[in-house]
Amino acid sequence: MDQGAFGMAETEMEYRVELFNRLAQTCFNKCVDKRYKESELNMGENSCIDRCVSKYWQVNSMIGQMLSAGGRPPM
Amino acid sequence: MDKNMLAGLEGLPEEDKARMSSMIDHLQLRDRCFNDCVDNFTRKALQKQEETCVMRCAEKFLKHSMRVGLRFAELNSQAATQD
Repeated sequence: MDQGAFGMAETEMEYRVELFNRLAQTCFNKCVDKRYKESELNMGENSCIDRCVSKYWQVNSMIGQMLSAGGRPPM
Repeated sequence: MDKNMLAGLEGLPEEDKARMSSMIDHLQLRDRCFNDCVDNFTRKALQKQEETCVMRCAEKFLKHSMRVGLRFAELNSQAATQD
């Protein structure tokens, strides 16, 4: 039914937005100096952000796979 | 929120900038910059250094979010093509 597909797409969209916001928050905490000496991101922060996003993405995938496999998580 | 803060990321099509702007959690941005920058409650008015700090914090967080958005889009499209 069309409504079902639309509902699923909406939920998927919400999930994406939530993922994005958590990802942004987490990597900001990990990578950005809170003293805010300037408004620009420096080179170190840029590299950190790129790597952080990559790792967070991998962790997210891993956990998604573990949970969808349905079994108990590996000890 | 000043839209000019988003102008820092040239090379993005306008519609992508707008989409990212709407995805960014503005409440989180506000709370973060308030918590990181404002500690002094002896006066009602924001002090100059607090204002500067908040401006920098907001700009920085927006630029950071844009960068995250770019990487996110890249990873998303990689994941899509793998299926």
